[in-house]
Amino acid sequence: MPLLPAELTHPDDPADGLAAVVALRRLADRMEDAQVERALRDGWTWAQVAEALGVTRQAVHKKHARRLRDVPAIRP
Amino acid sequence: MFQRFVRDARHVALEATSVAAGLGSPSVEAEHLLVSLASTDHPAGAALREVGLEPQEVRDAIQRDFERVLGRVGIDASGVDLPANCRRTKPGWGTSAKQALERAVREAKRRGDRHIGCEHILLGLLRAEHGTVPRLLAAEGIDRDELTGRL
Repeated sequence: MPLLPAELTHPDDPADGLAAVVALRRLADRMEDAQVERALRDGWTWAQVAEALGVTRQAVHKKHARRLRDVPAIRP
Repeated sequence: MFQRFVRDARHVALEATSVAAGLGSPSVEAEHLLVSLASTDHPAGAALREVGLEPQEVRDAIQRDFERVLGRVGIDASGVDLPANCRRTKPGWGTSAKQALERAVREAKRRGDRHIGCEHILLGLLRAEHGTVPRLLAAEGIDRDELTGRL
């Protein structure tokens, strides 16, 4: 069974579908920024955040460490 | 890239970076150039404001476009509250903005203009067929040809 009804994942016009892909990426990026920061502030380690996101610790660190330098809970 | 841009056109490009950062975008896109252009004193900015595209109106239109696009695939993004600017690194140039600036350069060349000004950036933005800028202009009922005619 599909995860979403066909009319949602397959809009009639390809322009709508492609625009939605761009908007979803943007939404996911913004959410990732916010959620990674929140988890670290809550005391999660980089390793835990990475595991929850399904990526390596190096990957999540490289992407977020610089902008989150001032979060006290962060350990390299 | 910006050697042949006149001072206010460079300023528009620079301001677009601040607009992108302010909206929490990791990259500068064409729509950020549009907000920046709408704020300038140059006639290109005045032309945008004359058709109702004040800077804040463009920002609101970007948000409405985002919600409308997601709405079409069944996602309700209205009132999605994300931190406005959690990135502290400077946004880089995104493809849509680069393309608009390249089109601005071509537009100046086509018209036989030596330098690239705000009017060329606006023409470059108006040339896009797909993406946020053409979509939001259509949604706001802006006639692109009429807007071009004001320059």
